[in-house]
Amino acid sequence: MSAGSESGPATRPDERLLNLVIALVNTSAAMTKQQVRANVHGYGAAASTDAFERMFERDKDTLRALGVPIVTVEGSGHSDEVGYRIDNEAYALGPVDLTPAELGVVALAAQLWSDKLLRTDMSRAMTKLAAAGAGDAAEDVVAGLTPRVRAAGDAYGPLLEAISERRVVTFRYRAASTGQVRARRVEPWRIAARGGGWYVVGHDLDRDAVRVFRLSRIDGRVRVGPHPDAYRIPADVDVDAALGARVGAERTARLAAAPERATALRARAVSAPEPDAGPPVPAGRDLVVVPFRTLTPLADEIAGHGAAVVVLEPADLRSEVLRRLRAAAALPRTTEEDPDGRTR
Amino acid sequence: MAERADDRLVRLLGIVAYLDGAGPVPVEELAQRFGVTPARIREDIDALWVSGTPGYMPDDLIDFDAFSLENGMVTLTQSRGLTRPLRLGTREAVALVAALRAMRSTPAVQAAPGRADVVDSALAKLTAATGEAASAVDVRLGGDEDAAALGALTRALSAGRRVRLRYVDAADVVSVRDVDPWRLLTQDRATYLVAWCHRAGGRRTFRVDRMLSVQVLDVAVGRVPPERVDVDPVVQVVSDAGESAPVAVLRLASPARWVAEEVPVEQVTDLADGSFEVRLRVTNPAWLRRLVLTNAPDVLGVWPPQVAAEVVEAASAALSAYGEA
Repeated sequence: MSAGSESGPATRPDERLLNLVIALVNTSAAMTKQQVRANVHGYGAAASTDAFERMFERDKDTLRALGVPIVTVEGSGHSDEVGYRIDNEAYALGPVDLTPAELGVVALAAQLWSDKLLRTDMSRAMTKLAAAGAGDAAEDVVAGLTPRVRAAGDAYGPLLEAISERRVVTFRYRAASTGQVRARRVEPWRIAARGGGWYVVGHDLDRDAVRVFRLSRIDGRVRVGPHPDAYRIPADVDVDAALGARVGAERTARLAAAPERATALRARAVSAPEPDAGPPVPAGRDLVVVPFRTLTPLADEIAGHGAAVVVLEPADLRSEVLRRLRAAAALPRTTEEDPDGRTR
Repeated sequence: MAERADDRLVRLLGIVAYLDGAGPVPVEELAQRFGVTPARIREDIDALWVSGTPGYMPDDLIDFDAFSLENGMVTLTQSRGLTRPLRLGTREAVALVAALRAMRSTPAVQAAPGRADVVDSALAKLTAATGEAASAVDVRLGGDEDAAALGALTRALSAGRRVRLRYVDAADVVSVRDVDPWRLLTQDRATYLVAWCHRAGGRRTFRVDRMLSVQVLDVAVGRVPPERVDVDPVVQVVSDAGESAPVAVLRLASPARWVAEEVPVEQVTDLADGSFEVRLRVTNPAWLRRLVLTNAPDVLGVWPPQVAAEVVEAASAALSAYGEA
């Protein structure tokens, strides 16, 4: 039976892909597109040459994304046509040999992502490790732990593709300070998650500088440029340095707390190296010195304490807290009616 | 929902490669290994059975021992060259290695050297097998939790011991509670303990950075966790205290979009000017006041009005402490 003359329902895409892999693993030299169309089960069903070409190109992309090393072979012998085969050396997963405890760690790591795309990628990786004969996982080393990372959103997929192939991306981005949306052209280097936020670090082509963009402020789609290998990623991308003020070196905050209040902050306090340095502590308040790395969560926490805690130093923390308090003191007056018009 | 073609292909290839090395394997064991039902495995075998090299004559096809399959054993007799497990694709390697590096960064792993060593060795083996492409994604978890508290909690979890917490809640009230620890959850910038609280007589979630002290008691845990502890700390913070909670509505400017994404809201309504409204149920007024106060620059409206009034009053008192009228 020739695959080209098959009848009945179309072959499922997964089974067509499977037959393509088997054919390209077993071919002696290479198979041309025409040979694939005429001989590999599932391709004969293509209604036209165009339909076949689209199907074959899509299948090649799918297989390469899964790690199947499809190589092209320039025309040889009587044919000028390009041929395809699978590089059997590159195909196999190297020996991994995880111990039961290591497998337990990997199995726990598999539950980390909330993101749909990352979960899909992760579950395929786990299927491949299972195929490689990984044994039973021992979970006692990580008993009771649950790490979790929030979803990265739609920008993750195209950004990762761009980084892997070093392609320029363009997107519209909402500036935090002004709320204005502007188009950006960026050479992306790293996708990073810190403190609940997802970021991309890269070279902003219009500003000719390293910039960090928060994925949640990307407005609409990320477009991936047409040219691969368009730039080089520096060997030592320092994500934390690029994030700068958001996640920095350890600093200390000098706070004046009302007696018996702000217990959680007091619990993290260290002894003041120079108690009398800096602005004076108002009468009736205690000096509380707290180390911190990230400004925003500490400013949130302190603002949440209201009058119980006053920031003495540093100035940037003080002004972040004051910005929240001034806005809160000026909250718009609302009426009993809620926005839906229902009165409670 | 239908399974994606690429997901099934990876399993089909994996089944052949695994069986080629493992010899006869029961259907149930194969199902467990690949995380699917035995019925799905039988469908997979049916699909493999009619796949092979062009020509597709009997000798060209992947083959299994039919007799042994009738007895629930899968015995591969012809693999058509699919003998080796497929390597990881770039995206898969990224997801795997980034997840392990993120775990390495969690305070609960940092606090236990034995744990960190196991994560390191797993990472080393997998990085060797996947190559460097995996560095594209860099995730760090957790905040500035106290290593002593984390160390005590992880010890109690492994030993199944009750702990005594001195804890300060969102309203700045200190309490002492004996709890049976269930899970230590690191999410984003904070670590939470999910536990059975004997004082409250119910399940509670505690932020580790609000624990003033942790004492491991010489008492075995009395309450074991349910089969699956569903852990979303924010949901717990909002809903631990009760079932029927009053509704609040916040109108927020666009930069506060994270509230819609990260707080369990009942409803989100996008408004024409780019702002949006979230409707949420709140049992803990202190939590809501704090949410409004800390996000005040992006808050355009608050219902019910007395919440706004309370926040205005608290903020005005704070500003006068700073010397601003």
